Amino acid sequence: MKGYFAKRLGYMLITLFVIVSITFFLMQLLPGTPFTDPEKLSEQQLELMNEKYGLNQPVAIQYVNYVRSLVTGDLGISYQYEGRSVNEILSERIGPSALIGFQALVFGALAGLALGIISALHHNSFLDYGSVTIAVLGMSIPSFVFAALMQYFIGVKLGWLPAALWQGYEYTIMPSLALSVTVIATVARFIRTEMLEVLGQDYILTARAKGISEKAVVFRHIVRNAIIPVVTMLGPLAVAIMTGTLVIEKIFSVPGLGEQFTKSVLVNDYSVIMGVTLMYSALFIGVVFIVDILYGVIDPRISIKGEHKL
Amino acid sequence: MSLPKQEITKDLFVHAPLESGKSEELPGTPVTFWSEAWRRLKKNRGAFLGLITIILFSVMALIGPFLTENSYMDQDLALSNLPPKAAGLEWLGFDGSDVNGIDQYAARGINESFWFGTDEFGRDLWTRVWKATQISLFIAIIAALLDLIIGVVYGGISAFYGGRVDNVMQRIIEVLIGIPNLIVIILFILILEPGITSIILAMVITGWVGMARVVRGQILQLKGQEYILAARTLGTSNSKLIWRHLVPNVMGSIIITLMFTIPTAIFFEAFLSFIGLGLQPPLASLGVLIEDGYKSMRFFSYKLIFPAIVISVIMISFNLLGDGLRDALDPKMRK
Amino acid sequence: MAMVVLVLTGCNFDSAKETDSNSNKNKETSEGKQVLNMVEASEIPTMDSAHAHDNVSFTVLSNVNEGLYRLGKEHKPELAMASDDQISEDGLVHTFTLRDANWSNGEPVTAADFVYAWQRVFKETGHYASMFETASILNATEILEGKKPVEELGVKALDEKTLEVTLAKPAPLLGQLLTFPTFLPQNQKFVESQGKKYALEASNVIYNGPFMLSEWKHDTSWKYKKNPDYWDADNVTLAEINVFVVKEAATQLNLYETKEVDSINLSSASVDQYQDNKDFMSIADSEIFFLRFNHNHKALGNENIRRAIDMSWDKKAHVETILNNGSLPLYGLVPKDFSSSPDGKGFRELNGDFNHGTIKEAQKYLAKGLEEIGQDSVKVTLTVSAVEGNDKTAEYLKSQIEKNLPELSVDIKLVPVEQRYELESAKEYDMVISAWGPDYIDPMTYIGMWVTDGSANRMDYSNTDYDALVEKINNENDPAKRYQMMLDAEKMLFEDAAIAPLYQRGLAVLQRSNIKGLVRHPSGPDFSFKWTRIEGK
Repeated sequence: MKGYFAKRLGYMLITLFVIVSITFFLMQLLPGTPFTDPEKLSEQQLELMNEKYGLNQPVAIQYVNYVRSLVTGDLGISYQYEGRSVNEILSERIGPSALIGFQALVFGALAGLALGIISALHHNSFLDYGSVTIAVLGMSIPSFVFAALMQYFIGVKLGWLPAALWQGYEYTIMPSLALSVTVIATVARFIRTEMLEVLGQDYILTARAKGISEKAVVFRHIVRNAIIPVVTMLGPLAVAIMTGTLVIEKIFSVPGLGEQFTKSVLVNDYSVIMGVTLMYSALFIGVVFIVDILYGVIDPRISIKGEHKL
Repeated sequence: MSLPKQEITKDLFVHAPLESGKSEELPGTPVTFWSEAWRRLKKNRGAFLGLITIILFSVMALIGPFLTENSYMDQDLALSNLPPKAAGLEWLGFDGSDVNGIDQYAARGINESFWFGTDEFGRDLWTRVWKATQISLFIAIIAALLDLIIGVVYGGISAFYGGRVDNVMQRIIEVLIGIPNLIVIILFILILEPGITSIILAMVITGWVGMARVVRGQILQLKGQEYILAARTLGTSNSKLIWRHLVPNVMGSIIITLMFTIPTAIFFEAFLSFIGLGLQPPLASLGVLIEDGYKSMRFFSYKLIFPAIVISVIMISFNLLGDGLRDALDPKMRK
Repeated sequence: MAMVVLVLTGCNFDSAKETDSNSNKNKETSEGKQVLNMVEASEIPTMDSAHAHDNVSFTVLSNVNEGLYRLGKEHKPELAMASDDQISEDGLVHTFTLRDANWSNGEPVTAADFVYAWQRVFKETGHYASMFETASILNATEILEGKKPVEELGVKALDEKTLEVTLAKPAPLLGQLLTFPTFLPQNQKFVESQGKKYALEASNVIYNGPFMLSEWKHDTSWKYKKNPDYWDADNVTLAEINVFVVKEAATQLNLYETKEVDSINLSSASVDQYQDNKDFMSIADSEIFFLRFNHNHKALGNENIRRAIDMSWDKKAHVETILNNGSLPLYGLVPKDFSSSPDGKGFRELNGDFNHGTIKEAQKYLAKGLEEIGQDSVKVTLTVSAVEGNDKTAEYLKSQIEKNLPELSVDIKLVPVEQRYELESAKEYDMVISAWGPDYIDPMTYIGMWVTDGSANRMDYSNTDYDALVEKINNENDPAKRYQMMLDAEKMLFEDAAIAPLYQRGLAVLQRSNIKGLVRHPSGPDFSFKWTRIEGK
């Protein structure tokens, strides 16, 4: 067990290192300078600034320097926010993103679960079609359209919730809801399929034959067995939420990580791009790792050996 | 089981007559597998509807732009921002009146009808929506096919050779899967010059990994199946083995994965357009139109509604079809 | 679990109390209390005046700090920290007497603060160190070139309240230039005590302007409070200004409607719906948009072809239908309502329109040009980045040019902003849609761009007569003569059809009608809040 953890951890570090390297060199290919508004910079001034930030050194040396400071936990200094450290920027931005992401995940998973269960138990009925339609709509309508509609109707027309900004808890609700749409849809569909499969299993037949009440059959046997594989969805869901934050945060003016990333990419803020990439990757790899562990814990059929199952 | 107890005796069993020659033969042909799948697909109303819609929309994407005389890039500012109007569909809101209820066609003295309205350049949105559908589908299908080719080759090699090769190839995949694809895609589009090719390439660069994993997993699983072993033992030739057993079984998962890759690709393209990394104008994809429409949704909601409906219907159809195909092709789901 | 901990500790907003006070504030605003709520599309990139180079930073810095001069209500320089500006006979030495004013930490503002801040711009490789060169401060050029140490910059503290600024040549624009945030003072003791943290948070800066930054939540909001120790505090009415960072135009509009904010810029899609609203106003800005032609290009190097392109399209329809945000068609280099001659006539009105022809004329010029280069047709690319709807402008241009000049075909190349800058400086383009905002309020901020090998030229345009004229303008002290020469320079530029002007940006603003005296400047800071007040209903 210990050996397994060490090995996995080793792989995770290698993966992160590869990601850092790939991103670093990809970024060298990005056209333009990291200095915002270079319209007014003379070439002479540009040279001086490149020298100041060490950007005139060979790429290899810049790379070594970056990795060296990375090892000490220093992610460098942002270019667009003169003088502010990337560590500080990230630690400020992660909070809002994590909060709405977490709320979206919890709410989305619960709502999706309910929808999926209803749908499967009333297979091929109107309830089923209704749930499936909701789920598929959720997957197919771009989240920014949802977000914009919610902002206008709930925020402006009805005035139930603040339309945007980040001033208190009620400001987190709408972005979380908008973000949860994809989660609801994904989970509902997944649960439905799983449940239908479980429904066809022999042990359900056995349970029914034993004369256990329908309620008990549904909750003790069907739902419980169908929920287990949902854990494997955590990885893709984390990605969906990450992608979602990129646009949702912009629409609702949430000072989060996704918004920061889009902005940094467009202005070539090298150190922030690197920082956010690293953070996202670490998060993602972490989720995959946790899923593997969890899966081993929940489903005794899967034993943790050297390699994780697909 | 509720059957009454019955003693089982030897004389209950009789030897089946042995027909020489038949034992070497496997019943059924690949055609049967597909026709069986087709039969099951037809029974699934949702999936069948999805299939029909996809065909319908693909056809519209090809002929839609030619149903009016306007080209997707012809501008005429005199016709700018006209609401949708279609003779006979007035009751559905296609009456040419804007947010304030003023009939813009009457107010500006325009006789022509624009079914989906026009944008600020006076371009016919009907033509543009179908042209955009064409481009979005093109991007998605090419990206999915490239994913498929790379994925199948990579996954196939990995699973076929196994051992060291498989090990190394899997480590590479493990690293690649850890990279948030979104970030790589965005960086790639910035580095390559924006355009259809870049978008496709950027999506393929990370997209094939999923397909490779599916193919590898399937082949590995099949390799260990008893019936493959049995077929081998019975002396089935390698090519027969591949075509009769491996292909139909792997094909199922591949097609299903493909059905889910296409909508994802459409979605991703729309997303990229939203953050400003789209196509070269005047070319437009559904994503570009939705992004445009989003900006003016309050007052020119039709600019958002039509492309949004088209993209949603396409996504729904692919998802329904994918689900149906999974049911039809996955032997586990056979009832 | 880690997530939950993050969630509990990491959110950026304060407790619910904060929210309550905010909603109260909004109510107060509508009841006429002196609180203003604004939006900005971006976070403050820096509060360090040595580094500032964008409008948001300029706006904040100019409202919380004050230099020797400040931009007045009519955008004319007014004495601010300096109470007197004595100019020597030869115009080379300015002696400023400073007011009795204090920093927000109680320290007096001294002449040494200016010397320190100005030298620091060079030491810190500030973005706008070149402004010292523009202002003709003695030795600025040599210091930038590394030929002289920064201590030789022409600025000296004669005593605590007397500052002597020496120039390389007389500079009639000095007062105007000194309003630029790069020339703001900084207190050496304070800056050095903060070390690397200087200007990173609201508490790491000190203020000598009409307002103080009392709260700064990064990428979320910031808050100004009236500075009670400001020398002219009696004339400052606003008690508080809240600025929220909101990137989406649609979101800004929603917040205006829910009364969270009091002033926004409308996007073109919403203008039609609001232009009859009493809160609506259209304001001409001074940022210009134009086509840079690559003068090395075979076809675009031809004056007649350039002129044909400039004349071939409908500039008026473009601003009215496509942009629809108060922008104005531009037929010159210097925008309208930006500068006026010493006798009070507008620059644009004096010089009139250039290359404002008909399509027929355009076709004639094109035919002539094509004959000169010996080609039947020309294919060019139009490089553009999707900022401020310029991608739309490009689409319109393409369609207009191809329709009216069938011999030309245009391919649009949409690139990110940073890439566009790079392509521009490398001259790897045929035509590119560029923009230029003025650094100071004088036509030279535009005219100076086009000298041979100038850093803003970026299209290899070269006309020795033009260069000579610009040189003469720079050395002319008589305002009337100087103005005439600037008018001539613009004429010369358009005789060459060096660029094709597109439009002058305008702002479609929605602003509560009880807000008075909110000054929008054409250059430097976007707003001055010093004279703003909120009147009762």
